[in-house]
Amino acid sequence: MCSLSNAFLFIVSMLLISSTSRSQEATLVAVGNQSGAPSVMKFSELKAVLMGEKQRWKNGNRVIIALMKTNTPIGRATSLKIYDMTGDELNKFWLALVFQGKAQAPNFFNSVNELETFVAQNPGAIGILNKPLADAEIKPIMIDGQKAF
Amino acid sequence: MRRKFFCIYWIIFLALAQVSSSQSIQIKGFVDVTTTFDQKKVSFGFDEEDLFITAVVNDRISFLGESVFKYEPASPTEYGVSIERIIINYNIKGNHNLIMGKVHTPINYWNDTYHHGRVFFPTIERPILFAANIIPLHTVGIGVQGHDLGKLKFGYDLFVGNGLGSSEIVDNDKNKSVTLAVHIKPADKLRIGFSWYNDVISKGASVLGKTINWQVNQHLFSLSLSRFGKKFEVLAEGTAGFNHTDTTGLKTTFATYIYAGYKIIGKWVPYVRLDNIHYQQGEIYYNKNNMTSIVAGLRYEISYLAVVKLEYQFQHSEILNNTNIVSAQFAIGF
Repeated sequence: MCSLSNAFLFIVSMLLISSTSRSQEATLVAVGNQSGAPSVMKFSELKAVLMGEKQRWKNGNRVIIALMKTNTPIGRATSLKIYDMTGDELNKFWLALVFQGKAQAPNFFNSVNELETFVAQNPGAIGILNKPLADAEIKPIMIDGQKAF
Repeated sequence: MRRKFFCIYWIIFLALAQVSSSQSIQIKGFVDVTTTFDQKKVSFGFDEEDLFITAVVNDRISFLGESVFKYEPASPTEYGVSIERIIINYNIKGNHNLIMGKVHTPINYWNDTYHHGRVFFPTIERPILFAANIIPLHTVGIGVQGHDLGKLKFGYDLFVGNGLGSSEIVDNDKNKSVTLAVHIKPADKLRIGFSWYNDVISKGASVLGKTINWQVNQHLFSLSLSRFGKKFEVLAEGTAGFNHTDTTGLKTTFATYIYAGYKIIGKWVPYVRLDNIHYQQGEIYYNKNNMTSIVAGLRYEISYLAVVKLEYQFQHSEILNNTNIVSAQFAIGF
């Protein structure tokens, strides 16, 4: 009986660990409006942009950040992988930055389609998704030479 | 006729809503309730209701406004409203901005970063150098600001304002206050800053309800170091104030504090803060009252919009009796 319950606990633990590591290893892609963001970036540059450290792209367009809400799987993965924060920490980070008057808040979305449409319609917009899109109005951004990271 | 009126009303409403949405207007706020145990009695209270609005006006212009509603015994309604910040920001180029309006003087990290947002405060109240009015909290004027420049993520603020003794509308004299602040962020979550502030306060000026009977030439030098890491948090700041009057000569005041916290088990953060203010004998611009304070507390971050803090503070003062206060605060953002 005891060994059966131990085995059950072991399986549950393994499932939990594997699901946690899966969310941490979720693949992300960066996309941008045709005007503004470059087609190739280093991960450190992407992180700096998404931390609000850059106000304008080289062509003069204002940097507009588009993210999935932190309670969505892509939003959670974005928080962890790019910002090294939990969703709550990311929300606090942005609220503090906006309150200080140091940056404009990112635009948060519930669905990938909304985010995609927003990036397509706003010059200078950059967004994070979980898979490459077949949308002519949006360009994929290679990060450290890779399509996904 | 009535239907026509409603029709026009809805058209205007929808048009305004459209303008609002295209301007990306955001309204946020902060509030807190606090209870204290002091002098053998428990008191309940609240600090202030802080509302702030941000708006992107166009590609280069943005706006930030902050208003506070707070208890004011002198007011007929016992409440007062104050405009804490009115900032029109014009993005000049890249990360360089022109700032106009009323700002939190960018003289140190706490004043520039938290000021009214108690949900962000690492402790229940501000360091005692704020209550002692060592630094000018606000400045009305114009300036330039830059951030995250180069590998060290250099930032600067150069702000010229009306200075102490002025009203929000007009300067009381020809002298202008100047604030120059620089900082670097050499490593992740680490920020080191330095600032210089100068103002000449005219004889007869009224500063925070006190009439200044001598012309005061004030220089403030501030240093700050902050690191809010995943586990360990530290914030240390110091201001050296040099006030010169013809009567007393140069008098120096040192105000410092150091805060440290360590995140344990999820959202719990035990913390301590030590404050000290030391005035030179003969100081007449500040209200000379050497003080030392020790704060020890525990913060629980329910979410990024709700924080509970429990704190003990011992304060030793040159003029008043020593105080022992236990406080609890529930601060929220919305």
